Amino acid sequence: MALDQLQLEVIWNRLIATVNEQAAALMRTSFTSIVREAGDLSAGVFDRSGRMVAQAVTGTPGHINSMATSMGHVLAEFPVDTLAEGDVIITNDPWKTASQLNDITIFTPVFKAGRCVAFFANCCHALDIGGRGLSADSREIYEEGLQIPILKLYEAGKPNKTLYAMLTANVRATEEVLGDLHSQVVGNEVGAKQLLSFLDEFGLDDIEEVSEAIVSRSEAAMRERIAALPDGEYPFTMTTDGFDEPITLAANVIITGDQLTVDYAGTSPAIDRGINVALNYTAAYTTYGIKCAISPDIPNNDGSFRPVTVTAPKGCIVNCEHPSPVGGRHLVGHFLPSVVFGALSKILPQNVMAASFDALWDSQVYGDRPEGGRFAYVWFAAGGAGAIHGRDGLSATAFPSGIAGVQSEMIEALVPIHIEKRELLADSGGPGEWRGGLGQAFTLGVRGDRPFLFSGLYDRMNNPAEGIAGGMPGAVGTLHTKTGNPLRAKTRVPLPANETVTLELPGGGGFGAPHHRAPEAVARDVRDGYVSLNSARKNYGVELDPTTYEVDLAKTEALRATR
Amino acid sequence: MARRIGSDIGGTFTDLVMVSDDGQDFAIAKVLTTPTEPDRAVVDGVDQLLSANDVDASAVAHLVHGTTLFTNALIERKGAKTALVTTKGFRDAVEIAREHRFDMYDLRMERPAPIAPRHLRFEVDERVMADGSVHLPLDEASVAALVPQLAAAGVEAIAVCLLHAYRNDAHERRVGEILAAALPSVAISLSCDVNPEIREYERASTTLCNVYVRKIADVYLHRLERRLQDRGLSGPLYVMQSQGGVCDIDTATALPIRLVESGPAAGALAAAAYGDLIGAKNLLSFDMGGTTAKACLILDGEPLIAPDFEVDRTYRFTKGSGLPVKVPVIEMIEIGAGGGSLVTLDAMGRLAVGPQSAGAEPGPVSYGRGGTQPTVTDADLTLGYLDPTYFLGGTMALDTEAAAAAVDATVAKPLGLDTLAAAHGVHRLVNENMASAARIHAVERGTDVAKLPLFAFGGAGPVHAYGVASILGSPSVVYPLGAGVMSAAGLLSAPLSFDFVRTMPAGLDAMDWDAVNAALSTMEADGAKILSRATDPSTLTFTRSADVRYRRQGYELRVPAPSGTLTEADRPAIQAAFEDAYRTIYGQTPSNVELDVISWRVVVSGPRPGLSLPKAAVSGTDAATAQKGSRRIYVGSSMVDVPVYDRYALGEGATFQGPAIVEERESTVVIAGPGKARVDAHANLIVNLR
Repeated sequence: MALDQLQLEVIWNRLIATVNEQAAALMRTSFTSIVREAGDLSAGVFDRSGRMVAQAVTGTPGHINSMATSMGHVLAEFPVDTLAEGDVIITNDPWKTASQLNDITIFTPVFKAGRCVAFFANCCHALDIGGRGLSADSREIYEEGLQIPILKLYEAGKPNKTLYAMLTANVRATEEVLGDLHSQVVGNEVGAKQLLSFLDEFGLDDIEEVSEAIVSRSEAAMRERIAALPDGEYPFTMTTDGFDEPITLAANVIITGDQLTVDYAGTSPAIDRGINVALNYTAAYTTYGIKCAISPDIPNNDGSFRPVTVTAPKGCIVNCEHPSPVGGRHLVGHFLPSVVFGALSKILPQNVMAASFDALWDSQVYGDRPEGGRFAYVWFAAGGAGAIHGRDGLSATAFPSGIAGVQSEMIEALVPIHIEKRELLADSGGPGEWRGGLGQAFTLGVRGDRPFLFSGLYDRMNNPAEGIAGGMPGAVGTLHTKTGNPLRAKTRVPLPANETVTLELPGGGGFGAPHHRAPEAVARDVRDGYVSLNSARKNYGVELDPTTYEVDLAKTEALRATR
Repeated sequence: MARRIGSDIGGTFTDLVMVSDDGQDFAIAKVLTTPTEPDRAVVDGVDQLLSANDVDASAVAHLVHGTTLFTNALIERKGAKTALVTTKGFRDAVEIAREHRFDMYDLRMERPAPIAPRHLRFEVDERVMADGSVHLPLDEASVAALVPQLAAAGVEAIAVCLLHAYRNDAHERRVGEILAAALPSVAISLSCDVNPEIREYERASTTLCNVYVRKIADVYLHRLERRLQDRGLSGPLYVMQSQGGVCDIDTATALPIRLVESGPAAGALAAAAYGDLIGAKNLLSFDMGGTTAKACLILDGEPLIAPDFEVDRTYRFTKGSGLPVKVPVIEMIEIGAGGGSLVTLDAMGRLAVGPQSAGAEPGPVSYGRGGTQPTVTDADLTLGYLDPTYFLGGTMALDTEAAAAAVDATVAKPLGLDTLAAAHGVHRLVNENMASAARIHAVERGTDVAKLPLFAFGGAGPVHAYGVASILGSPSVVYPLGAGVMSAAGLLSAPLSFDFVRTMPAGLDAMDWDAVNAALSTMEADGAKILSRATDPSTLTFTRSADVRYRRQGYELRVPAPSGTLTEADRPAIQAAFEDAYRTIYGQTPSNVELDVISWRVVVSGPRPGLSLPKAAVSGTDAATAQKGSRRIYVGSSMVDVPVYDRYALGEGATFQGPAIVEERESTVVIAGPGKARVDAHANLIVNLR
């Protein structure tokens, strides 16, 4: 049947609702906290040729965009006509999916009248995958856990017992990991059932025609956006702390007509620690940055990815090769949207954010429970996001990851960690006409009288989040003991009993010159303690009454006249 | 004969319903809402009801009131100047919140500002640990030192939320005493009273929202009570809570946050009460008004209750974009746009409806008050679904030509469609979106929505319900008479009730049953004390439940807990109840995973009053006598001539087949398909789709 536009929209909406349903079921049944609370998963539907047609609205870009390209690898291994009803395919190949062994993707072909008409896939973060556990310490991928090539988890409805036995033998939290896998399989089945029911309702044999229309319209819309940008090359370089040595992330955004290429030539080489990134994850975060800046309203599917090409020299840290370790790949990957924004700021200054704290701060504490037994606890926390034209940056808010944090009472109820303080850090947001978001400070220790280990996978301790358009950088992060002794990040530090650790998370960059910020906005910031009187004077050129916070207009004018 | 009155204050109208205990009377009044003094409209409405029906004020046993006044105060930020007092080191918990982005692609994303700005967030020296033990005793001098600062800042309300106060409230209570003694005119709420549950952000947010509207609640409810007493209504004034029970005004003024969503909740109660009368224990209530459409699952005669909700969302449909409020609420989900929602084409030329709304001013294009962008109502009018001369009973003329022209310009021309196809595209899209949202919601609750009848009300509900039901595969749609005053009627079916919760996380395999029993008895005794003020203690029922989850999972499920003194012998029953609930929602249970109980809950309720409905006003089973004309409406893919029935002339037993239109004053039932309609003994119109 020929679809008219309105029918297409109805079916398109149904497809999106179906994948959201699939994702909702997964989130609620997962045993893994970052899946269910932070939505660290993705779910999507693909056509027969492996093109992603619709995807669920979920948490993190790294999963979402890398799943889109993974289907092609699966079809190369198992061509569509060799698949049987009841087959389920699994892989965690970092170079073909989400660049980390814990991220397992499950693919399910959907059959109608004996013919494969679509695929559902979802990618979830598994609680454990063997090896060292999630860390950046490995020298090779072999240390990071079990590698699962593209294999059948079910063959014509029968579970692959050999594979299950291998999985069971190689992961720590067997119940939870296998439970999550089961949820992933069921989630796809839920999607398949819905799809088949509405194919019947609309009298369709498959989704090919719908897919073609969705993909081609999304592609056309994306090309239109790119074509509206001035042709040219827009290079940008960012330096991050790296593991032992600083890392250069060099991107060149090349716009030619309706095609956009991001090339990472000039980026530092891969290192022998697990912060390397496979190219598909690089592409995922790069396209995410582009989407935020130019096409937040265009749906994510095969078509919207097509006009964008991401390239990087083989062996560089954003296109690492097997067997480079990748367990902490977010420590590099999370910076890429800000790198893209830096490049695009030259042509679209009002569409992009100044740099953010970017890479999530991942803290790990290992110690003894006062009542006996060991504990380990890992959590993520957020610093400040960058400012954008017209808006201050968000304080203590994750970007680019959409992950949610954990509250102090929950941490203390679960493990013997004692949190003394958790507050926003004055003056940590980069000054600007729009101020960068503030970082936050934690001070914590472990109850009892035993020593403990602390490990922080942190960045931006040497290289701040830069501002845009005259905005100033945010504060860098710090890690130290209560007596002020600095501690090393990215390694396990042994600490004596009763010691406390203070981590100060970085702030976001500012946007626009700080002396253009409205003096009343500066006064409000000082009254609320986001900005100090000193910084108001020095960075913003605003003189305030220290008790009433009223702006001294004459002195402010004089201060600003000298800028 | 004793009468009961329900009154629901909406944005435009204040609705009142008066019933007699014998079910003979069912009187309705609709008066304009008086925004600056909302109680005035209630009193005016009561006057109208009494005089029009010749009833003496002394015959009114009680009045039940529902209002969105407190929600509005929160959204418009018109509450008290509010401070937060918390444990040293934690004043930013309400601003750090959950650290996440609820919209992945919007770089200009905004969060709602905390109720207490940072300069009004104060700290005291003290510390309680997660197990309730005291790590640092309360330094009372640090509390006293805040008094001059609070006074100087002109603070009118204070929320006290100390770390782990859900486990040990001694410090919090002492802080409250000191501040109350020093600042007698300031409203104070303690987190251990408002929301004794773990998670400092949500608990503080709930306590702040509560104290923020306390003064408004106090002034307003007492004034309403006085005015009603002046009118000779000597019976008590009850207030509807969000979870579907009513309470007295002493409770309401101490915990106004419990009243926040009471208006819409009452609509769901009405659906449950009607469902009970017609023998439909399970249904989907569907309330579509001017700006939103809301759905609620009614299962086994009870609306679903959620443990929390959000107010003041910066993104209307996005979870996580509002201030969290942890009080039990009837789970109403916003499933889509309303009649006044605007129709646009997005960047890719796709049709989009809402969330922007034309509101009452300028309103839809067809109102002729300056609106230029088409709305859902304009599309419905273009399709013939509404009668331009009988809108709101003919009190307002609609401009069909202007509506069609707007649909044509905004939708049809750019998409290369004819006007009718474009208008139907809008109607269909709205229905599709609502159906999808309702279906996802039902799946999350382990229910198959295709099995449930729809209960349609609100101004636009009856216009769209048939289309939504067709997409969902619903067996039937129930259209109650008086769809416009459903919430007020629902108020009269609410029992007195109050909810309690205690967070005490522990493994089910290592439970301190003495502590659990102590907590349960305290909650039950407190409940009996509160409710005995208003009802005979011997009629109270106590319902216990536990929030249980698999160890390491993030979501708890609420499951029934046994009554009496609990012991190790009750463990299998709790485990079995949890596994049943889990299986219903997720289909399967994992093996060998231990259970944790996070919180224990008690609901104390009085008896549920019956809601008797009037008999159909006219008798006679011939629908033809009720046909007042015919008109052309869009059915399938063309305009066809269909009969138009007068709702008020359709008697019990009347039957007819769609397509057809049934008109009543506040709404229009559109049957754009072959559904079979009949009128039941209570004047409900029931349309079977299968």
